[in-house]
Amino acid sequence: MIIDAHAHITRHSVEDWEARDDSIIAGADALGIDQLCVSITTPSKPSTLEDCIMVNRWAAEGIARHPDRLLGYAYINPGYFQEALDEVRYCIEELGFIGIKTYNDYRCNEPVYYPLVELSIELGVPILQHAGHMHYYNEVQPRISDGAMVAELANRYPEAMIICGHIGGGGDWEWTIKALRDAPTAYADTSGSVVDEGMIEMAVEVLGADRLLFACDNSLTAGIGKLQGAQISDEDKEKIYAGNMQAILARRGE
Amino acid sequence: MTIDLNAYLGHWPFRRLRHNTADGLLALMDRAQIDIACVSSASAIFYKNSQAGNEELAEQVAGHEDRLVPFAVINPSYIDWEHDLRVCVEDFGARGLRLYPNYHNYGLRDSCLGELISAATEHDLVVSFPVRQIDQRQRHWLLHIADLSLGELEALVERHPDAKFAFVNGLGFTNSRLGQADSGLPGNYVMGISRMCALMTNEVGALIDSVGVERLVFGSGMPFKYPEVSNVKLAAMDATEQQKEAIRSGNARRLLGMQ
Repeated sequence: MIIDAHAHITRHSVEDWEARDDSIIAGADALGIDQLCVSITTPSKPSTLEDCIMVNRWAAEGIARHPDRLLGYAYINPGYFQEALDEVRYCIEELGFIGIKTYNDYRCNEPVYYPLVELSIELGVPILQHAGHMHYYNEVQPRISDGAMVAELANRYPEAMIICGHIGGGGDWEWTIKALRDAPTAYADTSGSVVDEGMIEMAVEVLGADRLLFACDNSLTAGIGKLQGAQISDEDKEKIYAGNMQAILARRGE
Repeated sequence: MTIDLNAYLGHWPFRRLRHNTADGLLALMDRAQIDIACVSSASAIFYKNSQAGNEELAEQVAGHEDRLVPFAVINPSYIDWEHDLRVCVEDFGARGLRLYPNYHNYGLRDSCLGELISAATEHDLVVSFPVRQIDQRQRHWLLHIADLSLGELEALVERHPDAKFAFVNGLGFTNSRLGQADSGLPGNYVMGISRMCALMTNEVGALIDSVGVERLVFGSGMPFKYPEVSNVKLAAMDATEQQKEAIRSGNARRLLGMQ
């Protein structure tokens, strides 16, 4: 069993979105990926509420075309407070989504996140947080979160399930892994196009296999290849490939 | 058989590399079922006198010539490079070059590079360029080195039609003349697949259709990268076994003049 904890399907403003979504499924088939947890990012940055709602409806339609393969994250900008919470609750309770996806509208250790995290705890769903740490000013994403911010949020809400997105797509992965060391309830996903040898081994050594989630962020061969190459036990690989995400999904409704 | 056209020994100043000795790399190659690797010195990228890195590489390769094929790192803007090139070819058995214009402070249009490529062509060497060495997002705070421009590499190919070029660790070739049919460019170059998408947008498939499978080679970037990623890519791509074999080793054998 392999579950990709971080993936994206296509905006419906793209003419051939169905074909593109089908190519993701075909790629997953080629690599033995059983399920993908997906969201659609908004065209607006920062994300407007209208766009969040729009992409979530698109995601629901996309998921409905592959209901056995795709699981949904509700994409949201927490800055819309109650309206954001209402949208997330609707996606989880009515559309059957499995989690929440947040991007770079705010840094995730800012208080604006607190009501959203509290709702995620109530609903028993994870928050997948886009994250990265670069050693330069990121003018494209000035409010990007990093591993230290994820750790701070996770330690503030240890009962939450906060996932630090793409250690292989967020700049200095050694920094990110070390930043998460002392946040024992925070997870990290392995996705991203960066396939530096030793990345997975260090993540297992510092964080433990129980806190890692297999993911590709649409870099499918990179995602599978780095796990195949990682010199860790088969037991740890099984946890990362699916076991840990299955445990997260099982917490819903507890 | 698998031939990896893009492998390294030695050190990188900003991250500890594992498997970066001959014994270590050979073990990694065994793990990833890679038979032969074209290796260059990672240390030489940062040494002012890159020949010191080539000397270290030669010491490591000695006794493993059946599996490790040395590629020399030559900086044509540095004094005495002609001597270094001759030593690398005649004494160290170099079969190719790995060049770093942006790290070594010269341009792809500089005359010194033209002279080096002409000399390399006389020695029948493969002239390889990593389009990038590391992901820009991961760069150290002391260093900001741009990727090579595919447009300038096109011009280089045109200026040296008799040379043998290899462009490794790149992508986006389909957006350049290097990846387009009827581009008018000489057919004297190959492109490594390590960063190309082989599923979904499938740049590998598009290049097979446009410029032909003979332009594609396996080049993992090990030990910077997990070599298994390129194996997964090769296994998963929608191509015939004959095409995969050409990428895995056939094209590299032809390029290196191997029997």
